[in-house]
Amino acid sequence: MNTTPFSRREFLKTGSNGFGYLAFAALAQQQALRADAQAATGPLAAKAPHFAARAKHVIFLCMQGAPSHVDTFDYKPKLMADSGKAAPSAAGRYGTAKLMASPWKFKRQGKSGLYISELFPNLGKHADELCILNSMSTDLPAHPQAFSQLHTGTTQFVRPSLGSWALYGLGTLNENLPGFITVNPPGNATRTYGSAFLPAIYQGTKIGGNGFPGGGAFARRFGGGVEQATVANIKNDRYTTQEQRAQLDLVQALNKSRMQQDGGVSPEVEGVIEAYELAFRMQAEVPKVMDLSKETAATKALYGIDVQETDAFGRQCLMARKFVEAGVRFIEITNGNWDQHFNLKAALERNTGAIDTPIAGLLTDLRQRGLLKDTLVVWGGEFGRTPHSQGDDGRDHNNKGFSMWMAGGGVKGGMNYGMTDDYGYEAVQNKMHIHDWHATVLALLGLDHERLTFRYAGRDFRLTDVYGNVAKEIMA
Amino acid sequence: MKTLTFSLLLLAPVALRAADAAETAHAGLAPDQLQFFEKNIRPVLVQSCYKCHSSESAKVKGGLTLDTKQATLLGGESGHPGVTPGNIAKSSVYEAMTWKNEDMQMPPKQKLPDDVLANFKKWIEMGAPDPREGKVVNASGGKRVIDMEAGRKHWAFQKPVKHQAPAVKTPDWAKTEIDRFVLAGIEANGLHPMRDADRPTLIRRIAFDLTGLPPTPDEVKAFVADQSPEAVKRVIDMYLDSARYGERWARHWLDVARYAESSGKEVNILYPHAWRYRDYVIESFKKDKPYDQFLKEQIAGDLLKFDSKRDQANKIVATGFLAIGSKGHNNRDRRQFSMDVVDEQIDAVSQSMLGLTLACARCHDHKFDPVTQRDYYALAGIFLSSETLFGTYEQLQNNNTAGLIELDRTAGQIAALAKISKAEVAELNGDYEKAKTAAAEAQREIFAMRQQDRAKAGAANFLRVRGARDRAEEVKADVDLFYEDGTPRTLAMGVLERATPVNTPILIRGDIKQPGDVVPRGLVEVLCAKGEPLHISPESGSGRLDLACWIASKDNPLTARVMANRVWLKLMGGGIVPTPDNFGAMGQKPSHPELLDYLAVTFMENGWSVKKLIREIMLSRAYQMGSHYDAANYAVDPENKWHWRMNQRRLEAEAIRDAMLAMGGTLNLYPVDGSPVARAGEGRQGLIAVFRGELTGKPSTYRSIYLPIIRDQIPEMLSVFDYPDASLVNGDRDTTNVPSQSLYLMNNPQSQRAADAFAARISKHPGNSAERLSYAYELAFGREPTNLEKAAIGNFWMRFPQMVAKSSGGGKDAREQAEFAALSAFCQSLIASAEFRYLN
Repeated sequence: MNTTPFSRREFLKTGSNGFGYLAFAALAQQQALRADAQAATGPLAAKAPHFAARAKHVIFLCMQGAPSHVDTFDYKPKLMADSGKAAPSAAGRYGTAKLMASPWKFKRQGKSGLYISELFPNLGKHADELCILNSMSTDLPAHPQAFSQLHTGTTQFVRPSLGSWALYGLGTLNENLPGFITVNPPGNATRTYGSAFLPAIYQGTKIGGNGFPGGGAFARRFGGGVEQATVANIKNDRYTTQEQRAQLDLVQALNKSRMQQDGGVSPEVEGVIEAYELAFRMQAEVPKVMDLSKETAATKALYGIDVQETDAFGRQCLMARKFVEAGVRFIEITNGNWDQHFNLKAALERNTGAIDTPIAGLLTDLRQRGLLKDTLVVWGGEFGRTPHSQGDDGRDHNNKGFSMWMAGGGVKGGMNYGMTDDYGYEAVQNKMHIHDWHATVLALLGLDHERLTFRYAGRDFRLTDVYGNVAKEIMA
Repeated sequence: MKTLTFSLLLLAPVALRAADAAETAHAGLAPDQLQFFEKNIRPVLVQSCYKCHSSESAKVKGGLTLDTKQATLLGGESGHPGVTPGNIAKSSVYEAMTWKNEDMQMPPKQKLPDDVLANFKKWIEMGAPDPREGKVVNASGGKRVIDMEAGRKHWAFQKPVKHQAPAVKTPDWAKTEIDRFVLAGIEANGLHPMRDADRPTLIRRIAFDLTGLPPTPDEVKAFVADQSPEAVKRVIDMYLDSARYGERWARHWLDVARYAESSGKEVNILYPHAWRYRDYVIESFKKDKPYDQFLKEQIAGDLLKFDSKRDQANKIVATGFLAIGSKGHNNRDRRQFSMDVVDEQIDAVSQSMLGLTLACARCHDHKFDPVTQRDYYALAGIFLSSETLFGTYEQLQNNNTAGLIELDRTAGQIAALAKISKAEVAELNGDYEKAKTAAAEAQREIFAMRQQDRAKAGAANFLRVRGARDRAEEVKADVDLFYEDGTPRTLAMGVLERATPVNTPILIRGDIKQPGDVVPRGLVEVLCAKGEPLHISPESGSGRLDLACWIASKDNPLTARVMANRVWLKLMGGGIVPTPDNFGAMGQKPSHPELLDYLAVTFMENGWSVKKLIREIMLSRAYQMGSHYDAANYAVDPENKWHWRMNQRRLEAEAIRDAMLAMGGTLNLYPVDGSPVARAGEGRQGLIAVFRGELTGKPSTYRSIYLPIIRDQIPEMLSVFDYPDASLVNGDRDTTNVPSQSLYLMNNPQSQRAADAFAARISKHPGNSAERLSYAYELAFGREPTNLEKAAIGNFWMRFPQMVAKSSGGGKDAREQAEFAALSAFCQSLIASAEFRYLN
């Protein structure tokens, strides 16, 4: 339809409800006040790293609750041999506890012969791609604090998370999507994807998660929830894109006016402005990226989609690949309930059963698409568990030694880095504190953790505070 | 309870021996006893035990050291005393030496000769005389021995005292005592205070802070025009007296009380009676119930004196605080379940009321605070001696049910359900009988099956019987909701005393299968002065009332401080202690400790009146400052720790939603009777309704506090704007600023409906366009639009209606529709803009 049914003048003159009278005044300075839609893209624009990057993207598979390392990736023959004996005096604080061998067998896997528990039959086939970090440690054996440290480096303060730092350092490769996406974060862990004092635009955008439509524990419980785990309200049913842009221009002009009245500086209002621009662009891009329906049956099978135990995590892993393809910088997927104080045998098997196929599928898929070399896949939780038992069938918290692993993105495959003592209590060789792990992840992204700083309160802040050693040995 | 002292220093061996010798000389023991020890006991200890059990051991085993008297008496991590003078049976060191217990044989390689054992027995029986008065040494790797005296020195465990307000350079700036404390901090850090907020900004701030709603245009006008020096006070009092105040401040407490109407966790069973507690909290704030009384009622309302049946019922409802926590109903081990319930209660009480994480001491002594596992189990005994009545009925996934408390019919309590007819009661009863018969029938049929058929049917049989029984139970739950005449029964969640109080053993590492010493019910040692009685007297029943009075006491160093800090945090946008639920070692220290003390003491002096506390803070100049940016100040203190300006605060989800509805005049200010959850019922139908989002997805025009709060199924609007985890105590909500919020405000039908209602209201407003625009701005922001804003709106009006008309075809209707669409889009823009959800 080419003819306009009403002239602009008609609206201006006859409108009984509207504010046409203002439009007359506005005619003169039409362009002057239009919100600058491009401005917000500035802080997210791709930036050059400090030095040559080995990885461009990160997929962090975050296992909340602290998975047991001695049952998964830390093979301890002496623990098997001494099972049932009193815990050693190194663990004097544990009193009369008894060592407990892993109920699962470990097998050498791949050409490299890495020991991996039978809990991961499929992931085990990727042993030659895995760099298993056996000497992790963190400050405190308490979930909230350690979960915070895993993400932000500090147990106590509100600080930017690893994903926010990465995004701040590198920008994103697709400005129509958030550069940092977190899938199913725990409900009470906002700070693990928060940007703290970094501009709000570097905050993670969550998809699913507690209480979210189509996400969260409830949906997971009733199955099929993740299928709907999408970005809520992504579609506007009322206005065309052009109309919505006009509306948004008004919103942004009002926001800018507000900021001026506040003295010209308001990180909060600035955050609102940027969030709108990103939201507007996401409307076009997100549905395309999140649509799994066009994936082939073979791809879906690879991730364990449509198989009850693996469906939920499989979909999330596949989504992660699509986000990487689309240029998202940092993707985190949280998988919960690894806190096996009791019921270790059944619960750990259930947990690993849900992720083994999907992760193996993700690695295979990334490799076959040529994405693995640019994508750092990281797996781990906030700490590990004790080699001795808690009750008959459980393990307690252990922050002094645990395991994580990395794959792709310029790390050496088929290697163990560092080790714990004979039983798995404490890291004893090539210790890797969370600070070191952060420094290493950043280094793989081409960022120098000592130079990646943000001036705040008169001081340059770093993710690693005053700590952090890069584990160069693991780099390919 | 023992009081221990220890030194963190590892004494050098030589020093230790010298100390031993010195003590021997001063021990004051009978010479023959001393001789017996030196001859028969010390050499054995040194030779056979010290290798693993002394402060000099490279690695201390089992947390047990035997090189000092104190540590020997104390024992190791088992929780059993090492030696109890005069009591062989309570001397675990001796028991280990006898090798009687297979799990504990010491020394491990070779049992000691019988004559040595006989000497130890004799020594213990003579009272275990021991000259080694050296301090317990906390050997590396050994048990963390908590020094209560040192622990009591933590800042938050000192009673607050009213400090003199500090001297300041510009005393004229200060309006109140509070201001002098704040100004001192500002001046000391080289900052300067911002100018006062203008009147429209100030009333908007006060209105939202006290009622969770924007001021009406008339209220703004009256306030701006009121030149009296009492104007601010008057407007504060007006809002404090409003019924909306109760709803606003109750919501803050409900965050702290982890209020919700379902169990959360694995099965998420509905709690259809939880709303009574919510209403109790609203009523308490509205009436300005003294905070100490408020706390007492929530812990022990059932045990307090009452002056009417209504009063009694209200106090019982208050104990719902202890019953509404999240629970794993599918736990098959009932003992584990009840210990988990108790743990949740200890966690909620200690964090919300004391700002302490006492639940951390369930498995071991607290890792950071001076709280022992004994403290924890002393409290656990109190809660185990009470019965937690959370209702629910038995079904496939629910292995743990409890009763509810029936409130007196004449206690004037409202009901969530309408009265039903006698015929309907009869029908319900009939359904129940039928369902019972069906269940019995199914059971009989299965019994009658031949063995091989039964084996073949397997789980199907089980499910059939289970299903039939569940259906019967479900109908029973409905039957139980009514009296025979069809009047709904008034039921409440809460806590009552058990007939016989019990003490619980310490559970080693929190494991119910590893009981240690039985601990008498009692209070938290570090918070009691040295020598003060800790234990609950036998006449006190469970001890809940003692606990309540001890918490809600002026002598408790934490209670008033924690609440004063909570109130300050809500009004100022940041706590004096930034971690409002943790005043322990892992919490952050107060920025203004003396101000916090001042507020706490004044709070108590004013009869624990929350309203007075709020009024005092609001009357300060610190509260009334503008939130303007200042480059010099910002460079030094961007977090505004020193309150050089008012913080710009994001409104909570509830306030944003309520304000959205208020714009269109569609906010329903009548309280909901009960809750949609109560009407959904407990049964499968209720759960299905939850799953389908029928309870939480429905648009509603009630104030947000009345929305159904189902754990893990929080209504979308609230969840998008950072509603906290409803299973955890939360005194400070996070605020995020993310695209999902933008998307909600732009695209969600509820936002669009709110905008339509707002537009309809504007279009009906008498006057010309300019007046209508002013009205829209007054409603949304309590001010006039600036010229810049007018220009932007004009710009929008120049483009938008035309675009809409173009896409919707011609005709007069289309034009009018386009015009309304534009007006609605404009109104939505006001709602969506930053100013709508940020308080300046």
